[in-house]
Amino acid sequence: MDADHAGHKLNCRQASRLLSLACERPLDESERQALRRHLDACLMCRNFESQLEFLRKAARRLVDAP
Amino acid sequence: MSLSPVQDPRFAEIEEHRAYLVRYAMAQLRDEQLAEEAVQECLLAALEGIAGFRGQSALRTWLTSILRFKIADLQRRTVAERAREDVGEQAEASEDEDWIDQQFDETGHWRSPPQAWSNPEAALEQRRFWQVFEKCLGRLPAVAGRVFFKREVLGEETDDICGAEGITAGNCWVMLHRSRIALRECLQVHWFGEGVRSGR
Repeated sequence: MDADHAGHKLNCRQASRLLSLACERPLDESERQALRRHLDACLMCRNFESQLEFLRKAARRLVDAP
Repeated sequence: MSLSPVQDPRFAEIEEHRAYLVRYAMAQLRDEQLAEEAVQECLLAALEGIAGFRGQSALRTWLTSILRFKIADLQRRTVAERAREDVGEQAEASEDEDWIDQQFDETGHWRSPPQAWSNPEAALEQRRFWQVFEKCLGRLPAVAGRVFFKREVLGEETDDICGAEGITAGNCWVMLHRSRIALRECLQVHWFGEGVRSGR
């Protein structure tokens, strides 16, 4: 996907793409490192990360929601 | 003497699942009219068979299993007339891409930053939350909503979904990404937001 993040810093738009992409396939090493560096410094994207997890959990529960 | 369907107190209970069932049917049939038809037939069958439903499974699960038969039926009937609308799906994917770009400013920062949600797990136990979730799903664009439903609700593999929808993996992913950002935002505004909790 974005091949431009090896080495330099990600912005939130790129980081959120990787977070969403990680729901579809395992990230490669350089993607993981770049993402990790961004998340360490960015609370908003960490929130986004946990919200993705929550969305996934909620969606799975929809199948037998009350 | 048996009650007519509308008088049956469980009619209302079954009706509450309609929105979910329509979404489920749309995911498989990709056609609103057919989806409505499948759900209609499913609900009629459910009302006839409700006496036999003993509640071993959730009502929704039981309804879905009936719906699956109705969908398979309709699919068999319509399989011949199914080569269409892929152009519309390409158009939506590029619109989704634009929409995603608009969620960020020129420097790539969030325009509406994700805030921490307090105790999201508790929401899952609340009936009202599921109504909000359903409403937020309903606001997604047609194809994106369908792709998200198959991926995250039904847990299908992305490759299978793209194949069935006749769209590229890249477009498929863009739709999922848009759906996730949009749902997150919708839940923040309509459920987790401060304004909501303080009743403003």
